[in-house]
Parts: sequence; structure tokens; C-alpha cells
Amino acid sequence: MEPAEVEFLAEKELVTIVPNFSLDRIHLIGGDLGPFNPGLPVEVPVWLAINLKQRQKCRLIPPEWMDVGKLEEIRDQERKEDTFTPMPSPYYMELTKLLLNYASDNIPRADEIRTLVKDTWDTRMAKLRLSADSFVRQQEAHAKHPACPQQALPSSPSFQPFQALAQLLQQFCTDTNAHHNPGQGENRSKNPESSLVRRENQHRSCYKARLHPSQAPQHGEG
Amino acid sequence: MFVSDCRREFYDLIVTQRVLLLVASDVDALCACKILQALFQCDHVQYTLVPVAGWQELETAFLEHKDQFKYFVLINCGANVDLLEILQPEEDTYFFVCDSHRPINVVNVYNDTQIKLLVKQEDDLDVPAYDDIFRDEEEEEEEEEDSEKESDGSEPLEKRRRFEEEVIERTMKRRQRREWEARRREILFDYEQYEYHGTSSAMVMFDLAWVMSKDLNDMLWWAIVGLTDQWVQDKITQMKYVTDIGILQRHVSRHNHRNEDEENSLSIDCMRIAFEYDLRLALYQHWSLYESLCNTCYTSASLKLWSVQGQKRLQEFLADMGLPLKQVKQKFNSMDMSLKENLREMIEESANKFGMKDLRVQTFSIHFGFKNKFSASDIVYATTSLMENIEKEGPETTNFIKALDSLSRGNLDKLHQGLDLAKKQLRAIQQTVASCICTNLVISQGPFLYCSLMEGTPDVKLFSKPVSLCLLSKYLLKSFVCSTKNKRCKLLPLVMAAPMDVEQGTVIMVGIPPETESSDKKNFFGRAFEKAAESTSSRTLHNHFQMSIIELKTEDRSKFLDALISLLS
Repeated sequence: MEPAEVEFLAEKELVTIVPNFSLDRIHLIGGDLGPFNPGLPVEVPVWLAINLKQRQKCRLIPPEWMDVGKLEEIRDQERKEDTFTPMPSPYYMELTKLLLNYASDNIPRADEIRTLVKDTWDTRMAKLRLSADSFVRQQEAHAKHPACPQQALPSSPSFQPFQALAQLLQQFCTDTNAHHNPGQGENRSKNPESSLVRRENQHRSCYKARLHPSQAPQHGEG
Repeated sequence: MFVSDCRREFYDLIVTQRVLLLVASDVDALCACKILQALFQCDHVQYTLVPVAGWQELETAFLEHKDQFKYFVLINCGANVDLLEILQPEEDTYFFVCDSHRPINVVNVYNDTQIKLLVKQEDDLDVPAYDDIFRDEEEEEEEEEDSEKESDGSEPLEKRRRFEEEVIERTMKRRQRREWEARRREILFDYEQYEYHGTSSAMVMFDLAWVMSKDLNDMLWWAIVGLTDQWVQDKITQMKYVTDIGILQRHVSRHNHRNEDEENSLSIDCMRIAFEYDLRLALYQHWSLYESLCNTCYTSASLKLWSVQGQKRLQEFLADMGLPLKQVKQKFNSMDMSLKENLREMIEESANKFGMKDLRVQTFSIHFGFKNKFSASDIVYATTSLMENIEKEGPETTNFIKALDSLSRGNLDKLHQGLDLAKKQLRAIQQTVASCICTNLVISQGPFLYCSLMEGTPDVKLFSKPVSLCLLSKYLLKSFVCSTKNKRCKLLPLVMAAPMDVEQGTVIMVGIPPETESSDKKNFFGRAFEKAAESTSSRTLHNHFQMSIIELKTEDRSKFLDALISLLS
């Protein structure tokens, strides 16, 4: 997924605002919003909140987790554990970026929050790289990423090598499956449908991967 | 007609309409335009922006768009002439004029329907009373008709007596009428004789935003830049400047009080405005202190830097402050911190010794991010030089749009480009002033001083634009007043001419009022130029919104000047 797509999906999250105008309930395709009364908090999706903020029609209230104390705890926990810890919101990175860019005057201690979120993000990226590295070394065919944020994959600057790595991994797995005992891997089933699915995935990833032509996987295997 | 409630009588009317914005080419107008654009964007008002540099462009733009728009907003243009006569609009078009040029034309003031003036009433406008200028024409005609009819049907004796009485009455009325007209002409002459400037349009627009509670720090900054532009170009008196600074200072403290609170301080990326009692040196924080001292009008005129003596005095001045030359000649940001800490107080003390009593001025500065700090006058210089950039980079309006963009915080690259151009402009001004004074190009013509730039002068192309030429003339007059020993010459105004377009053989001429301590900045050259042009039938173009700037053909220059001399002496 492109970073822009992920940001688009993140904008559907709800956030609290305090409007300074009044408007009755509005009925949109995604659901009903409102009614808006001056001074009374109301929950709206982030895209509407940003638009209203830019038109000076509301004041944003930061989400509960966007607080220096809580973020410090999350960061410390992330640093202690080896696996990923659950994040307060699947879109924490996008929300931080959007809210701090457009509404930093409504968020207290915005600079510290930015630093803390970035620290947490860096720790998680490092874990992702480590686990991918060990995955290849140990020739594991199955990798479980609990609570891995959706955005970790496409938006990291190291995505291109990671994608290449994923590509090679898939190729390696299919090779392994073809030549070794099927009982070796965990998720290799003999179901012909799943192999078709796998081939389809391979084709799809071919289109997305910007690999060097010589490294492109050959079809027709596995 | 004056608009008393900006919100109800102006903004609420246009918020549902399509509007045409006609904006003059000066920094104050640009700032007012920015504020209004921000308000329009909040409320999704459809508008078209047309930059105009003079009356002709205003008329062309109006003719082009008059079928599509009913509401026109004019910024910094249109108040000082009879708009209805020039534009000949339909009955249902409305003009909202936000202009700092004074005096406001009486027709604009007393028109009840089509022309609305967005002007603060506190400005001392001295508009003549309605009865002194306008008289019901119909009454006069009826009376004359009646008297004629009456004189027809009556008996002979009584007829003669009545006829005599009526003749006496009629002559009395005619005499009254002639007296009234003479008085009217005198009143109008006094009213329109002197040109000056009122409150900055940017401040008026900011007031509108404040009344609607939509004012932001950004808009406040633009209002500050608009006011500073008026001060840099010497359009308002010191008193008015200080008063307006006081008004803006209240807004600044209202918006920016959160900086002192440690707990909830704002992100460093948020914009902060701070009031400063800063040095009057142009662009000194983006230049070296030495360059800034050399190229600021005030210091260069007081120290007389065009002479060798002057250079020595500059060295003495720096030595007096204890600033080593090496430090002072490098970029300001790289100077030693120990020197920068008390710089303002040190400079003020030494400046007092050297006769520069007003080296510090009350102003504001803006601060966002870790390295962006600008003072209001920096922005004014940068935007002016962007707007009057002589390098043509596309259609005519690119310079205007670029200057408009540079006022937004996101376009720092344009701002830095403007700062570089401003440095070039200031240097060019200083060199031209130095050469004019050393070669005695400023000659006294009797009632005024006159200086003319020759075509081969370096950087003369920079001065073919009105604002740059005005800046040059003010600096030249200040330096001349400091350099001359002739007491009478110090009180004379200055007329400055520079070649405008070599191919068409035109010259741009500017008249500025004399340089005195308590000058009220009132300029009579507008009317004087008009009269001189009429009497000599010179080919002149009074295109600029400020009447004291005209263009004329090079061949007509000498007879125009002779007429001007005879007119003013």
C-alpha cells in the first residue's frame, strides 16, 4: 500500500473537536455526523476535523493516548520487549503527523510528543528488521507479526530492500516446498487451491516490486 | 458612503456572492489582500484577484469583468478620484473601497448607493459639509422659470415695478450663487490640495477579521507588515505610527501570551510575534552589521558616508562601541555571542554621541522553527523588491503573485530570494545617492530641488519602478539635507526624474515633500503636476494611484519643469 493510501484510511479515525458554529445532523455516506453546537465537544472523522480547523471553525482535542506520560510508558515498554507491543491506535503515526501539522497549537507539549512517537517508531522498525533478518537465516517459512502496524511495511524508507527481501523469501519458500519434505514448513499445505493463491500472490508482488530485472522471479515454478 | 459596521454592511453582503478583488501594487495592499483571501477561504467565497498598477489597468480590468461581477472590492486604489465617472458602472454594481490614499474624493463620500468606503472614522478626514459643495440644481431652474413666467402676465405699471423687483431679486440670487461657487471652489481646492495617507488597509482588514473573531496570528503579522510598509516608505507621521503600533501591540499580547508559560508552551514550529525596540538598520540580521550600517539611509546620511570623512567617522563609531572590524564585517549570525548580547544598548549609546538619536524604533519580529527569525521591515524590503523585480520571468503578473506568495510562511525560498534582491536594491540606492551628492546632481530650482538620473547610470533600470524611485528620492533628500550648508535648501521639497522606458522615450517623475523634523507628510505635487501638464500641454500620463508620480515624454521635460517652477514660486 502506498503511504498516501494508508493516510487516507487513517483519516477515517474519529477524533473529538469543539466547534464554534452550529449545524444540524449531517447525513454522509459513511454515517451521520453532528449535531454541532458551539462549545460542545463532538466526535468527527479526522478529515473533517482538519478541514474545520483550517477554516477556523473548531478546536481540536488531542486523543487520550497523545499525552507525554503515556507515550513515555509506551516507548519504554517497546524498548524492553523483544516483540511488538500493542499500540494505542493502528494509525498512531499518521494521526500524530496530521494532528501535529495542522493543530499543534491545540496540543500541549507538541515537540515532545513528536519526539516520543518517533522514538517508538524507530524501535519498532529496528525490531522488524531484526526479525526479518533472523527469518531468513533460520529458513523459517512462516512469520507471525502480531500487532504489526499496517503502515510499517510500505512507509519505511527501507521498504524497497524489505520488499526485495520478501520477494526472495517467497521464492525461497516455494523452492523449499518444491524440493524438500512437505512436513518441514508450518504452513505449507498440499491444498492445490492454496498453491494457486500463492502463485497469484507472486504475480501480484511482481508488479509491485521494483526489483532489478535480473532478480525477477521466474514464473511457472512451485 | 462610509461603512460603519464592516461586518454587516460589507462582509455579510459579499459572503454569498462572487467578488472581484482589484489590488494595487504596494506591500500594504498585498497584506490586506492576504488577510481578505484567508477570510474568503474560511468561508468558501468565490473571488477573482486582479492586480492593478494604475488607473488604466483598473479601467481595463473593470471593463473585462463588469458583466460577470456585481461586487467589486478595491484595495489601496480608487478613493481619491470620482470612481463613478471613470468607470461608468451600471446601477446595480457595488464598490467597496479600502484605501489609505487621502483625501477621499467628495463624490465617493456622498454617494449613498454604489460606493462604500471601508475607512476608519477616527482618521481626521475633514471632509467638507454636503451643503458647501452640492446644491440642488433643480430648485434653481424652477425659480428662474417661475420668475420669467410671472414677468409675462401683469398690468403695465405694476408690471414695471414688479419687473424691477424681480430683476433685483434675480441679480441678488445670481450674485449669491457666484459667491457660493467661489467658496465651493476654494473649499475643494483646500481639501484636495495636499495628498497624504490614512490608516493602513491591512489594519482595516485585520479589524474586520477581529470583529468576526476569525483573527489569527498570521493575519496579525500581515497587518504589522502593512503598517511597517507605510513607515518604511515614509507615508505616515511618526505620531501615527506609534499610535498604530500601540493598537497592534494589544493584539500581539493577546495572541502571543502563551510563550511565557513553561508548562503549556507552544511547539517551536508555531509562529510567535514579539514586540521589539529594535535597531533601525535595514536587514541587519540577514547581512553583516557593517553592510547594514553603510546601506541604511539613516546612518549613512547622519555619518555622511559618501565622503572620506564619513568613512573615518564610521570607523570611529565602530571603535567607540568596541566592535572589531573583522567581527562586524561577517554575517550577523556568525558574530560572537558576547558582542551580540548587548548590541542594541551599545549601539544606542554610541549613536547618541554621534548625533543619531533615533537609531532604535518600535517594531515587531516573527519567529518560527529553529532558524527563522524576521523583523517586519525585513519582510517589507523583501516583498517590495520581489514586486518590482525588473527581470521579466513570464507574464506581467508573476512578480505580483510571487510577492504575494512570499508573505506566506511556507514559501521561505521566495522570501530569501526577496531578501537578496532587497540587498542589491539597497546597495544600488546607496551608491546612486553617493554619486548624486558627490557630483552635485541635486540642484535647487527655486521652489524645489531637482535631480535627474542619466541613462548610463549604473542600476538605473532598478529605478524605473515607482516604489524604488520613491525610496531613492527619500534617501537622497535626507542625505542632501545632511550634506548641504544652505539653510534655505534644507526646507525644500524634491522632484526626482529617472528614465523609464528608453524605447518609448518616457521618464518617470516623483515629487516628495520636504524633510523636516515634524513633517506632516502632506504632498502637494499631485495637483501641481496636473496643473503644469495642462498649462504646457505636455504628454503626461497620470497613471499611478498616487498623484505625485507621473510619466512624461523626455522631450517635454524641460517645459514641464519651467511651468512647475512658475506655478510654485
